Amino acid sequence: MEDAAEERQIQVRFVTKLPSELHVATTPFSLPAHLTRYGLSEVINALLGLDKPQPFDFLVDDELLRTSLEQLLLTNKLSAESILNVEYAYAVGPPKREKSREHKDWVSAATGSHARYIATGSYDTSIRIWGADGSVVQSLEGHGDAISSLEASRPTGDEMWVLISGSKDHTVRRWELSLTSSQEAVNTAVTLERPVKVLKGHTSAVQCVASNGSGTAVCSGSWDCSIKLWNISEDENGESLTVRSKKRKLDASAEAQELEVGTSITLEGHTQCVSAVSWGQRDSIVSASWDQSIRSWDVETNINTETLIGPKALHCLSVGGDNMALFAAGGADPILRIWDPRMPGTNTPIFQLSSHKAWITACKWHRHSRRHILSASHDGSVKLWDLRSKIPLQTIDAHKGKSDCTIK
Amino acid sequence: MGTSDKKRRQTPGSKRAVNVGAATETNGTASLLDTARAVDLSTSSDSDDGDWQNTSSDSDDEYSSASFDDDDSSGDESEGTTEINEAILDYMGALEKEREDEERGDSLSGGGEESRSPRAVAESDSSEDEVPSRNTIGNVPLEWYKDEQHIGYDLSGTKISRREKKDQLDSFLARSDNSKDWRKVYDEYNDEEVELTKEEIDMIKRIRDGRVPHAEVNPYEPYVDWFNWEDKGHPLSSAPEPKRRFIPSKWEAKKVVKLVRAIRNGWIKLDKPKEKPKYYLMWGDDLKTAEKTANGLAYIPAPRPKLPGHEESYNPPVEYIPTQEEVNSYALMYEEDRPKFIPKGFSSLRQVPAYSDFIKERFERCLDLYLCPRSRKKRINIDPESLVPKLPKPKDLQPFPTTCYLEFFGHAGPVCSIAVDPSGMWLASGSSDKTVRLWEVQTARCCRVWSMTGPVRHIAWNPRAGLGILAIALQQEVLLLDAELGSNTEEVSQLLNINVSSVTEHAGDGSLVNWLRHEKLQALQIKHSQEVVSVTWHHKGDYFTSVAPDANTRAVLVHQLSKQQTQNPFRKLQGRVVSVLFHPVRPFLFVATKMHVRVYNLAKQQLSKKLMTGLHEITSMAVHPKGDNMIIGSREGKLCWFDMDLSTKPYKTLKNHHEDIQAVAFHVTYPLFASCADDSTAHVFHGMVYNDLLQNPLIVPLKILHGHQKIDGQGILDCHFHSKQPWLFTAGADSIIKLFCN
Repeated sequence: MEDAAEERQIQVRFVTKLPSELHVATTPFSLPAHLTRYGLSEVINALLGLDKPQPFDFLVDDELLRTSLEQLLLTNKLSAESILNVEYAYAVGPPKREKSREHKDWVSAATGSHARYIATGSYDTSIRIWGADGSVVQSLEGHGDAISSLEASRPTGDEMWVLISGSKDHTVRRWELSLTSSQEAVNTAVTLERPVKVLKGHTSAVQCVASNGSGTAVCSGSWDCSIKLWNISEDENGESLTVRSKKRKLDASAEAQELEVGTSITLEGHTQCVSAVSWGQRDSIVSASWDQSIRSWDVETNINTETLIGPKALHCLSVGGDNMALFAAGGADPILRIWDPRMPGTNTPIFQLSSHKAWITACKWHRHSRRHILSASHDGSVKLWDLRSKIPLQTIDAHKGKSDCTIK
Repeated sequence: MGTSDKKRRQTPGSKRAVNVGAATETNGTASLLDTARAVDLSTSSDSDDGDWQNTSSDSDDEYSSASFDDDDSSGDESEGTTEINEAILDYMGALEKEREDEERGDSLSGGGEESRSPRAVAESDSSEDEVPSRNTIGNVPLEWYKDEQHIGYDLSGTKISRREKKDQLDSFLARSDNSKDWRKVYDEYNDEEVELTKEEIDMIKRIRDGRVPHAEVNPYEPYVDWFNWEDKGHPLSSAPEPKRRFIPSKWEAKKVVKLVRAIRNGWIKLDKPKEKPKYYLMWGDDLKTAEKTANGLAYIPAPRPKLPGHEESYNPPVEYIPTQEEVNSYALMYEEDRPKFIPKGFSSLRQVPAYSDFIKERFERCLDLYLCPRSRKKRINIDPESLVPKLPKPKDLQPFPTTCYLEFFGHAGPVCSIAVDPSGMWLASGSSDKTVRLWEVQTARCCRVWSMTGPVRHIAWNPRAGLGILAIALQQEVLLLDAELGSNTEEVSQLLNINVSSVTEHAGDGSLVNWLRHEKLQALQIKHSQEVVSVTWHHKGDYFTSVAPDANTRAVLVHQLSKQQTQNPFRKLQGRVVSVLFHPVRPFLFVATKMHVRVYNLAKQQLSKKLMTGLHEITSMAVHPKGDNMIIGSREGKLCWFDMDLSTKPYKTLKNHHEDIQAVAFHVTYPLFASCADDSTAHVFHGMVYNDLLQNPLIVPLKILHGHQKIDGQGILDCHFHSKQPWLFTAGADSIIKLFCN
C-alpha cells in the first residue's frame, strides 16, 4: 500500500511570471504526490540549476500551496489524471531582525515612508527620527501629551519630508523636515524646515491622522467622534529653523514660531471615537470607528458616500490591495477583516484572517503588492499575510508586550 | 293473595293480628297462640271456633303449623285438662307476676282484676321486669333433667328436688273434690302446680274467642286526627289517594309489551352474559389488593424473595456446579460480590445436610420486611426540557462580553473600585494600595498614578463629558480630582478652586463637612466626620452624594459642586445605609439599607416607595438607565431585579453566585447587566426593558466570566460596563483589572 502511495504520480506543469532566465520547460513533469512546497522548490532549484538555492512559493488556482499536492487534490476535488498547472514565484523570506533600539516609553506610532529614515512617536510626547544605522537623528518635541499617530508624506525628492502627528493633547502638528542627501553626514542631516503648524480644533484626543501623498491636506480623527480636514496652504511666510544637533529640544523661541491653523471642514457621522483614517484613492477619506462602522467620505463634497458596518469596534484601517479599493480593518477581536466596498449590498468581509490571539491594533497594506498585508496585535506579534493563503506567511514575535503600530 | 292479605288486616278480624303484635315482645309468642287454641279446642266449642279455623287456614305458613296442631289436639280430645295444663304452661312464663300474686293468696276480687290486667300487659312487654323463676337452669330443654331427681337449681345453687308426681287417679279425685282444681296448671319448669286466676281464665277465653285479651282495651276507638292540616300549612294534602294508585298502569303495560316485542324481534340486543375467563391467575388476588384497600391506604406487597432455581436443587445439573477453580476464585472476590450459595450435588435427598444459614436468612428477611419502609414512588414522565422556561438563546442576544482581551496590570493591592470615563477612553481605578490609576482603555496603559493618603474605597467620574473630574472616597474624605482630560480646563480649575464665600458660610455650619483645597494634588477635599464608603454623581454632574454609614444621621450627604455646599437631606435614617444612587432621569434618590431600598422624591421631600427585597444584606445596587428598573446584589449571592412600576417586591430573584455579590452594573446603551462576586466570577445577563408597559422585562443569563484569582476570600470587587461598547471591566482582589469584550 505504501508503495502504491509512493508511486502515485501527478502531472505538473510549471508556469511562472518571473523573468525568463528563471523559466523551466513547460512540458509536464510527473512528480510524486506527497511533495509539499519545500519539495517542489527543490525540484525547481534542480531544474534551474541555480548556484545558490532560492526558495519558491507555489500557487495553484491562485491559492498558495500549503499542503502536499495529494491533499490539495483531495480538498479541491481535482482529478489526479489531468495536468496540474502550478505557478511558482519567489517565496517571501523570513524577515531579518536588523536593529532594535529602546524607547524610554511605549512607541505608539511609527512610519517608514522614507527609504532611509524611520519616524516613531512615543508616549513620552516626542517624535524621533531614526537613521538607517539605528541612531536617533532628530527628536521632535512639542506635543503636550502622548503621540497617538504619525503620518509621513512621500518624500518629494530628497529635500522635503512632511510629518504629521496626532496627539492626545487634542492637536495635530505638521512638521516639515529637510533632508540633506550628502553621503557623509547621513545622521545629522535632518533639519526642521519651517515653523511647526499646530492644527487645533479637536475637543478630545486625536486618535489618527492621515494625509494625501504630498502632505498638503491632512485629515484627523478624534475621540470627539469627528473627522477634521485641514488644508495647509503653502503661501505662509516661513522662517526656517535649522536644528543641527541631534537631541536638541524645541525651546521657547521655537514654540513661539508655531503657527496655529484653524480647521477647514468637519466630517461628522461617527457616533464613537474615530480610530483610524486613511486617505484613499482620488480625494476620498476612509475612516474606521469604535462604532463598528467604516465610512468613506468624499473630500470635495464632504459627504459620507459609503458605510460598512462591521461586527466589532474597529481600531485600525488600511486601504490598499487591488486598485487601492480594499479596506483592511482590525478591531476588538483577533480577526483581521478585509472588505471590498465594490461588492454592493453586503457588509460581509471578503476575507477574514484569523491567527492572532488578541486585539489587532494596526494593519497596513504593502505599498506595492496588492496581496500582502501586515497586522500587529496586542499579543505582541506582527504577521504578514498573503491574501492567497489563510495562514500568515510570516510571524514576528519580537515584541514582549503589545505591538501597537506597523509600517511598510 | 296479596290483596286478600291486605283486606284481612284491614278488617275487624285484625284484632288478632294486633294482639299478636302486642305479645311478640314476650318470650314464646307462638306458644301463646298455641295455648290459646288448645284451650279453645279442648274446653269448649263456641260459635267462634269456625271463624278461627277459617282465619287460620287463610293465614300464612307460620300459622298453618298451628292449624295442624289444631287437628292433632282435636284428634284426642279425651285427654282434656291435662292437655290444657300442658298448653298453658308456656303462657305461665309470661304471666309469672300474676302467678306469684296468686300464690301469695291475693284475692280474685273483680276490682283488683280490673286494675291489674293492663299492668300485666304492660309488664309483659319487657322481659327484664319479670320476677325470676324459682328454677335457674335457664332456657334449656327440660328433657335434660327428665331422669334426674332434681329439676334444677335455685338462686342459692341448691338443687330443687322433683316433687312426687300425682298419678291419674289422684288427680281425678282431687279434681272432683275441688271444684276449682280445673284451674290448676302444672308448671313443668318449676315443677309446681299453678292455679290460674279468674282474670287469666278470662284472658284465655278472650283469646280463644279471637278478641283482645284485655277487656279494657277497645280496638275500635274513634280516630282522633291529632294533626291539624289547615293550621300548619303542610305541603302534603290529606286528600284520599286516587284510584289510579291502586290499578295497574295501562301505559306501563303498553311499554312493556313494546319492549317485549322488540326483544323478541331482536331489535333490542341484550348484553351477553360475561364470560368468565377459562384460565385465571391463581394468585392474582395479590395484584388487586395492591391497588387500594378499604381504609384508603395503599397496600404495598412485600418484595418477593427470589424463587429457587435449578442450582438450588439437591442434585443440580453439572453445569450449575462450579469447578474447583471457580470456587477458589470466589475466595479472591470481594465479600459482597461473592455468591451466597454454591450449588452442590447430592446423590439422594437424604444426604442433603441441613442448610446452615436458614435461620440467619429468615431472620434477615424478616428484618428487611420489618425495617425497610416500603413507599410507592410516583414518577411523572415529563420531558425535562419542557420545564425550562422558553428563553432566547444567548447566541441571538449578541453582543455581550465573552472573552478577556486586555488586562490592566499595575496595582499592588486589591482594586476596590473602577470607573469608566463617560467618553469610554479612560478607566480610573482605586485600590487599597493607596493609589488611583488612570488607564487608557484601548492599550491598557497606565497613564497616570496618584498616590493617596489611604486606601481608596470608591471612585466615580463626573458624568459631564469633557470635565474629567474624578470623585474619590478615601477614609474620611472625598477628593475631587482633576484628571486633566477635559477640554475646558478653565471651568475645571474654577470648580475645583475653593470658594471663599462658601468656606466662611460653612464655618458657621461647620459640623457637617469641611471643604478644603488639597494643594498637593490640586484637588478639592471634603472632610467628613466618619469614613466615606461611596460617592455617586447626579447625572447632570453638579450634585453628588457621599455615604458614610457610621455617621448615623449624617450617613447620606448631598454635595453641590458648583456652590460647594453640603446638605443633609435626612433628619433620621432607618438602618445602616449601604449605598445611595440618583435616579437617572427624575428627581429621586435611592437609599439602600441592609434589607430595604427606599426611594425618596427629592422634589417633594418625601418617601415615595420602599422596596422589600427579602434579602439578608444588600451590598450593591444599580439603576437601569431608563430608571424604572433596578438590580440589587446581596451578600448571600442573590440578585434581585425590581420593576418599580410593577411592584415593590422583586420581579425576579436570581441565585447565581455562591458567595457575596460585590457589585452590580447596568450598561448604558446595550440591554446588559452584570454582577460580580467573591467567587471570582462575573455573570453577564441580558436585561431587556421594553417601552411597552405591559411587557415584562426579559432576563436571560448569558455568560459566566472567569479569570480572576481569589485572594483572602475576595474575588471580583467591582465591575463596570464600558460606556459605549459592550465590554465589561472587572476589578479583582488579585490587583488586576480585566476587560471582557464581545
